[in-house]
This record gives sequence, C-alpha cells and structure tokens, in this order.
Amino acid sequence: MIKKFIHQFASPKTYLFQVNRFYPYIFYISLIIYTFSLIWGLLFTPQDFVQGNSFRIIYLHVPASFLSQSLYVAMAFASITYLVWRVKLAAYLIIAIAPVGAMTTFVALISGSLWGIPTWGTWWQWDARITSTLILFIMYLGLISLHNSFSNYEKADKLLSWLVIVGAVNIPIIKKSVDWWSTLHQSASITLTDKPSIDPSMFYPLIGSIIGFFGLIICLVLISSKHQILIREKTKSWIKDYV
Amino acid sequence: MKILRLEYLKLRKKTRSWLGPILVFWLIMLAYPLTVEFLQDKLEIGFFSVLWIAILISMMLATEDIFIEDYNDGSLEQIMIKNSSFQFLVSMRIVIYWLMIGVPISGLSFFFSLGTTEEIFLSLSIFPLALISSYIFLNLFVLGNALSLNKGSLLGALVTMPLALPVLIVLGKSVISIQLGINFLEFILLLLGCLSIIMIIVPVIVSYIIKAHLE
Repeated sequence: MIKKFIHQFASPKTYLFQVNRFYPYIFYISLIIYTFSLIWGLLFTPQDFVQGNSFRIIYLHVPASFLSQSLYVAMAFASITYLVWRVKLAAYLIIAIAPVGAMTTFVALISGSLWGIPTWGTWWQWDARITSTLILFIMYLGLISLHNSFSNYEKADKLLSWLVIVGAVNIPIIKKSVDWWSTLHQSASITLTDKPSIDPSMFYPLIGSIIGFFGLIICLVLISSKHQILIREKTKSWIKDYV
Repeated sequence: MKILRLEYLKLRKKTRSWLGPILVFWLIMLAYPLTVEFLQDKLEIGFFSVLWIAILISMMLATEDIFIEDYNDGSLEQIMIKNSSFQFLVSMRIVIYWLMIGVPISGLSFFFSLGTTEEIFLSLSIFPLALISSYIFLNLFVLGNALSLNKGSLLGALVTMPLALPVLIVLGKSVISIQLGINFLEFILLLLGCLSIIMIIVPVIVSYIIKAHLE
C-alpha cells in the first residue's frame, strides 16, 4: 500500500506540476513570516541583559543551524526511500538538497562565528558542537563531489544514498554534543519536552523566523529539485511538452 | 577459515600494500620529534595527536588498493557470482588487513608511547585504543574506497574522513582521562560499542556498494 502510494504521488511529472502549483504560496507566505519575524526580532525585542544587541543574530543563526541538520535528516529519509522502493524522485531530491544543506550549514557556521566574536571573544573554538557542524559541512561537500564524479547517474544515486545513510550518524552527535561534552556552545534553549529558557519576547519572533526560514529553504529545495528533474528527465516526452 | 587463509596469502604477496602503511606510520612518528625540541615535556604535548593522525593516515593508505585490483581484473565480479555471502568476504578482508597492518601499528604505538612518555600504564592503555581505532578507521576507509572504487582513493577518503573525526575526538578525550585516571574503561567500552556496530554494518553496506558498481 505504501509502495503504491509513493509510486502514484512521487512520479517526477506529478511532482513537477505540484511544485509549480504550490511554490508561489509557500514562497510568499514564508517570505512574509520571515520578514515580519526579523523586523519584530531586530527592532522590537528588548536587548539581552548580558549580550546586548549581539544576541539578535539568533534570528539567522538558529534557523540556519536547525535547517542544516533537518535537511540532512530529509536526505537520509530520501535515501532510504530510494534504496528500498527505488523511487527516482527520492534520488533527485537527495542531490537537490545537498547544495542547499551545504549553504545553510555554511550560514550557520559564519553566523555562529560572527556571534562568537562579541560573546566569547573569539570567532572560532574547537568545541564539539562547532566541530561537528563543520564535519557536517564537509560531509555535504563530500556528497556533492561524490555524485559529480560519476557520469552514470543511477550508480551515483545508489552510492550517494548509502553514504548519506552512513553519514546520518553525525546528526545525533551534533544534537547531543552540547550534552555529551563540556562545550563553550550553550545547550538548547528550546526543546520539545521542556519550557523554553528564552524570554517570550525573544521566543515568538525566533519561532517565526525558524518557520519563515524553513519555508524559504524549502523553496530553494523545490527549485533545485525542479532543476534536477529537468536535467535527468530531459529525454522524456512529457518534459518536451512541459518546456 | 579458507577465505581467511586465502585473503592472508593475497595480502602477504602484495608487500607494498601492507608494509607501506606501517613504514609511513613509522616515518611520521620518527619525524615528529624532529619538528619539536627534544625535551620530554615538549614532546609529550603533541605526541598523542600525532599518534592518532598517523594511525588515521596509515589506515587510509592501507585501504588504497583493497578492491581496485580485483575490480579491474574482474575477479570481484566472479567472487560476487560464486560467493553468496559477499559481506562475509569483505569482513574477512578487513580482518586480515587489520591483523597485518593495524595490529603491528598498534604495537608500534605502544613502543613510541613508552619511548616518549616513559609511562608504562599510559602506554599499555594506548595499545587497546590503537587496536580499536585502527579497526574503526580501516572500516571507514574501506567504505570510502568502495564508494570511489574506480575514481581513486582520494575521493573515498574525502567523503569518509569526516566520519572518522568524532572517533579522533573520543581518542583525544580518552588520553586525557587516562592521564587524569578517570573513566578510561568507559571510553574503551564506548569505542568497542561503536566498533561492534561498524564491523557488522560496514561489510554489508560495502557489499551493496560494490554490487552497485558491478551492475
């Protein structure tokens, strides 16, 4: 039943038409939410007692960090889907997500470094959270290089899927690094189980910025996946009609 | 047992494949004192970092041609057709590589550690760490080489090296715990736990990856 569902709704053709249908809504709604949250966070939230105005970089850093890990998890799910059910779209999604994931991880690292200068007095520390995030960034680059080194797409997809699954071991390490090691990086302020340790005046715009940023990144993934489909399905008759 | 013996004979014939990484390890460890002052405390500061990195590099070199010759001459394809349990063969090959390269390197690690720190307990503790870490690195680089089977080992190393970095972090922390006399066994157990998962999963994944190459 799952197989039937996946094959019915995950054909590249159906996906492409659905993306074209929903893309503008996702983009504009996300843009409005992110812009609103950013303005709220940057202009109307009070200064932090200790960090002053420098804390406001959380409206970029936290969404980027959250997305950098979430995108890898999405790639891992797509890899399992591809290897188990042989869904072509899943393979296209893996390689579509990889550059976007690399970009968000890079943004997380850079924004973290910029935040580190006024708060820690250094832009870089070899602490577990930062190092494991750097490893994630290198992983993304490695995945892209591996895929690009093969001219046979099918082989590249299979190899990439296996590597993504193996590399997923890094995600819990990143997540738990602040608990397992004594790190300079603070532990999570927002968890699913506990009350957030962050003040509500900062918390609500942060949640908004995460949702908005998430939507914008989803839009990037959609564009990237559309690009992949157009390249990989270029010989199909429906693509000629589509173009 | 037959496979184990066969793999041993195959590797023994390829002298460069097993002796090369050991010599590289030896050279790195010999070169280390030359780059710092020959004072005991100065040598000890970076010794363990160099040791773990030397093991990492040696294991990377050890797996350089683990499958490529068999892949090029078509014997990998024949093995896969004949042998129903290809993952078993992969795991046996890793075991042989570890016995012929990883174990001597671990032994050398003990002697280098003893020579540098002059602490027998510390050096004895380094030995199991080196044994376990060399096996983990070997598995990771075998995975990398399988991924980039006909594209050179550098690409394989690039894509799997990040996975070795958490192990390096644990090794660094283990040395500190030995020096402070705390939780050393817990680190060994942690590494053994990781190893037990890796040594089962990696041969299975590698066999699927090689199948993908041969299809």
